[in-house]
Amino acid sequence: MKLNVNKQRGLWWSLSGAVILAGVIAMALSWNEFKAPLRPGLDFLGGTRLQLERDCRQPGNCDLPIDVADIRQVLQEKNLGANNIQILGKEKQAVAIRTPPLDEASRNDLKDALTKKLGKLDANKSQIDTVGPTLGRQLFTSGLLALLLSFLGIVVYLTFRFQLDFALFAVVALFHDLLVTVGVFSILGLTQGVEVDSLFIVGLLTIIGFSVNDTVVIYDRVRENLKLTPHLSVAETVDNAVNQTLGRSINTSLTTALPLVGIFAFGGETLRYFALTLMVGFVAGVYSSVFIASTLLTWWRERQGQGRGGYNSTVLNSNSALSDASPEEL
Amino acid sequence: MIRQQRFLLALIALIVCGALIVVTPIGKQFGFGKVNLGLDLQGGTQLTLQVKPTEEVKNIDDQVMAAVQSVVANRLDPEGVSEISVQATSNQQILVQLPGVSDPKEAAKLLSQVAKLDFRRPNNAKVAQLNVRQSELRKLLAQQEQTEKEGNKEAIEKLNIDIKQKEQQVADLRSQYYEKTNLTGEDLRNAGYSPSQGQPDLWDVTLQFDPDGGRKFAELTKSIAGTRQPMGIFLDGKVISEATVEEKFKENGITGGAAVITGNFTLEKAQLLANQLKGGSLPVPVTIEEIRTVGASLGQESIRQSIYAGLGGLVLVLIFMVYYYRLPGLIADIALCIYGLLTFAAYVLLGVTLTLPGVAGFILSIGMAVDANILIFERTREELRDGKTLYRSIESGFYRAFSSILDGNVTTLIACAALYWLGSGLVRGFALTLGIGVVVSMFTALTCSRTLMFTAIGFPSLRKPELFDAKRAKVVS
Repeated sequence: MKLNVNKQRGLWWSLSGAVILAGVIAMALSWNEFKAPLRPGLDFLGGTRLQLERDCRQPGNCDLPIDVADIRQVLQEKNLGANNIQILGKEKQAVAIRTPPLDEASRNDLKDALTKKLGKLDANKSQIDTVGPTLGRQLFTSGLLALLLSFLGIVVYLTFRFQLDFALFAVVALFHDLLVTVGVFSILGLTQGVEVDSLFIVGLLTIIGFSVNDTVVIYDRVRENLKLTPHLSVAETVDNAVNQTLGRSINTSLTTALPLVGIFAFGGETLRYFALTLMVGFVAGVYSSVFIASTLLTWWRERQGQGRGGYNSTVLNSNSALSDASPEEL
Repeated sequence: MIRQQRFLLALIALIVCGALIVVTPIGKQFGFGKVNLGLDLQGGTQLTLQVKPTEEVKNIDDQVMAAVQSVVANRLDPEGVSEISVQATSNQQILVQLPGVSDPKEAAKLLSQVAKLDFRRPNNAKVAQLNVRQSELRKLLAQQEQTEKEGNKEAIEKLNIDIKQKEQQVADLRSQYYEKTNLTGEDLRNAGYSPSQGQPDLWDVTLQFDPDGGRKFAELTKSIAGTRQPMGIFLDGKVISEATVEEKFKENGITGGAAVITGNFTLEKAQLLANQLKGGSLPVPVTIEEIRTVGASLGQESIRQSIYAGLGGLVLVLIFMVYYYRLPGLIADIALCIYGLLTFAAYVLLGVTLTLPGVAGFILSIGMAVDANILIFERTREELRDGKTLYRSIESGFYRAFSSILDGNVTTLIACAALYWLGSGLVRGFALTLGIGVVVSMFTALTCSRTLMFTAIGFPSLRKPELFDAKRAKVVS
């Protein structure tokens, strides 16, 4: 079976367009609600997050699950208002509370009050984070800078190794993957209350590396085919390249997805959404490499009047020397 | 060709042995450490401190940061024994890591004070008292010998009690030895260090007061010059240095607002003291911007879960590779195990601190390492189906996959470099582990897989096409 990606490129493009549009709408709605395209987590808002768990070695301490109402009452007594309270764990013996930034004294005060209400807490299983709002902003700007810098580096490198249009469409595919991922998390933020933290930024930056990797593998084959079969049209050449690399695309996605599924299913709470971020990004990455980056390149070359066969292969000569030369005689 | 292969095989064996030595307990004897675990994995507290400029210190440069850093480290760990780490990061921040501390109350209290430096002089009354008590103590000690000779038990015991009392009195007086003066860190403009004149390898600490401080300093030094009684330099109520003043300054004290402390300092000690003096003299406010505390067992749980997840994923990948690619898959699996070992050894050698995102980066890089092998084997299969011989197919599989492996990995490395360069903390750890993974995977895929593959097809029994391509096996049978 041969996949003719170029024949139905309208379909692939509208599919991507629809997903991205849904994401953009979600981002607009989020902006209305949170003043940000995604539901921002502690790292970006600033504040204190307490995760506390009862010490179940004390007899009778864990007989009943923790009641949200109890905690809400304590918070109201401390004038901390209606805060984000989450009961965690199968036995409902742990709780995560979000408050405005608390200093050392008021934090301990709150902890004492909660201990009185809930019973003894296990210090070994608690996690307390206080983050100033500036830190998240710094992370965001440094992340954005890293993003721009890696875009630039990738364009320069691919222009050097391939050609400028290859490089630009690789970055378009990249942008596509990031938009899809941000869109999906925006939707998750609105519907499931999923928040993004600093790991989300790390995830986005990782997607860059992998997405380009996928695209490069296909482009590498296009580069080679343009040289080997100059009589074919660009559309055919690209179709061939996509088909020749399809097995690899599928298998690689599978092998990278396996550890991610592992982390998503069994990894700690912290890494769960990180794994999901990467999975969404990688799926988008494979899709965009196979269906978007390839067809965009064809479309562009056809527009430039290079769609017919007999493409001037000398242009690619210097760059494709590696893949063109036959292996050394044995 | 065969000689080259043997050489590569020996090289790989050598590298693997080296890596094994590094990661196993044997390595400790050679001075290789363990992989450092980040606070999110081993439990502890991390504080981010923001250093803020003031009217007097508008510009916070490296010198100021170094001074603040030394004060912070000194306050949290005056003896310098625990494993705390205090690093200056970009954005005028200081990152403090306290492994094993699950209650940062004490640390936060210590840090929220402003460092206080002051100069003290001996309290004459106390000094006089101390001298009297000391001579009394000496007398008692002299008596002790005599009494012991006489052998009167009661007398010995009584004398011992007296000596203890005296010693206590002396110690009490010692702690009250200094009295405060009006000269404090605020009068100090700068402190530095310079080589001692005529004494190589020894350093002096230099002081520079503002005009007002210069006058106070002259007064203080005049009062103690030639008395052999030192003045004390106190940081946060603890003496950090004592210095006597030479006789020649008896007339006017040390004037001009500048002074040199010569005390046979090594370079490090001089730097430390200068930084402490400067730190104390710089009332730069430090605010706690972030506190993250992870309970110890929460960290262990994260480790365990992540390791299970990683191993689970890895085992599935290994099974998949053998199932789908047969003999090459098996070779890829061996290369993958070598990859895991080398990466781990690289962490040890480079002193990587492994955080949770770092573990994720490692698990992820496994996927990348497999990708290179998949590219090669897919290509080999294609060549086989084009009717090429086994040897030629494998050779061109490696050869033709190279350009896409290179380009793909270089682009990932570009992203890693951007992350490492601009990121901080979490982001950096992730970029580093992923980057190491990419580089090591290039080596294992291109060198290990290749050499093992050619070694394998050196055995005639392994030279069957059906071991390389499941579809082909069906055709043949």
